[in-house]
Amino acid sequence: MRIEVVRSGGFSGIPAHAALDTAGRPDAGHLHALAEAALAPGPPQAPTPDGYSYDITVDARTVHCADPQLTHPQRELIRLLLDEGA
Amino acid sequence: MGVFCTIVPPHVLDALARSGDATLSAYARRTLEHDARERTRRRLTTVIGPTLAAARPTGVPAAGPSDGPRRTIHDAAHLDTLPGTTVREEGAKPSKDGSVNRAYDGLGATFETYLKAYGRHSVDGKGLPLVASVHYLKDYNNAFWNGEQMVFGDGDGRIFLDFTLPVDVIGHELTHGVTQYSANLDYFGQSGALNESVSDVFGSLIKQYSLGQTAEQADWLIGAGLLAPGVHGEALRSMKAPGTAYDDPNLGKDPQPGSMSGYVSTSEDNGGVHLNSGIPNRAFYLAAAAIGGHAWEQAGQIWYDTLTGGSLSTRAQFADFAAATVAAATARYGEGDQSRAVASAWQQVGVTPAPGSAVPRQQPGEQTQEA
Repeated sequence: MRIEVVRSGGFSGIPAHAALDTAGRPDAGHLHALAEAALAPGPPQAPTPDGYSYDITVDARTVHCADPQLTHPQRELIRLLLDEGA
Repeated sequence: MGVFCTIVPPHVLDALARSGDATLSAYARRTLEHDARERTRRRLTTVIGPTLAAARPTGVPAAGPSDGPRRTIHDAAHLDTLPGTTVREEGAKPSKDGSVNRAYDGLGATFETYLKAYGRHSVDGKGLPLVASVHYLKDYNNAFWNGEQMVFGDGDGRIFLDFTLPVDVIGHELTHGVTQYSANLDYFGQSGALNESVSDVFGSLIKQYSLGQTAEQADWLIGAGLLAPGVHGEALRSMKAPGTAYDDPNLGKDPQPGSMSGYVSTSEDNGGVHLNSGIPNRAFYLAAAAIGGHAWEQAGQIWYDTLTGGSLSTRAQFADFAAATVAAATARYGEGDQSRAVASAWQQVGVTPAPGSAVPRQQPGEQTQEA
């Protein structure tokens, strides 16, 4: 399973991008469950000025989400991939 | 571990956005956001009513809002629950936590600048309490306005330091609140870039007011002191010279354009709101530099009149905003150096004011008291 996070927006406006392949990883099971859960969209919201927006893509499926209303699986997955306190 | 994490330049992301399902997802996202935005606007209209920026003549009656801020700082304790635990209220002695005190002081500086320079009581003009949360999440590289309060991350220490450090960042976020309660510019495309630019303009003016600087003395930087040691850059944005704030192996080069010839069309970041804001940012700098003296006094007053005067559509484009600033300059100072400086500034960044799009609904002289 390929998992990708693309971040845009934020006060800085500086984008970020990270991806991983779960093949062969010891935590693949955890990641698969997390990714599936993250694909469930949160509530729609108006754009938050300076909030980060994220596109999470799991294989061919993409969900869009944005701060501050990320679901817990989305938050955890983003933190795991971007490794910078998302 | 199979993880690769890079910060990539926007043109690479654009290529990503154009590939595969991204177009479809972007379309769905726009639809969702548009619907949510409409709901927000309807709610706001019922809250603030049709008369934006209510007139408050000189000599505020006793029943008016207080001339002092009402601040509350919370500690989010590295979680995502807002606002978190109350750690400092108005009038309380300083905390041992530097982030708490910087947020408190920055809210105060912002309140004071809006009051003294423009006669505005807080972000809504009616004394709205100012709420901020610090230590949002862990190593979080951002600060934002969530429609009700300010939120600050600590930064990861590698790229960004604590977001409470630069007072212009605090002023920038609170100005998103001012915009929400006045022109309520749509956070998308050119109106979104104007929303961002207005926050940079007043964020910088709050810093300049605090330091007592003239337009010539000011650095015109946004986020100076926010980049971690070792990052090649002096700030996140330069209003004077967009595109020159940083040039770093990890961050890439500051991609902001300073004129319409460099306007960026993109689906990312709500249509490039943090990119194209460089164009109106530079227009403000050019106007302020030409007028001279303290930028918050005349150039700032013209932009403030434009933002709060009621003539702007929520979907105002650069040309509409430009026309409104020229009209505001003329309404307040007559045909003269100020209106010519403003018109020339927009011309220099390649924006032609839209004809007949800006007629002030109020006489600006009725709106504010002079400091």
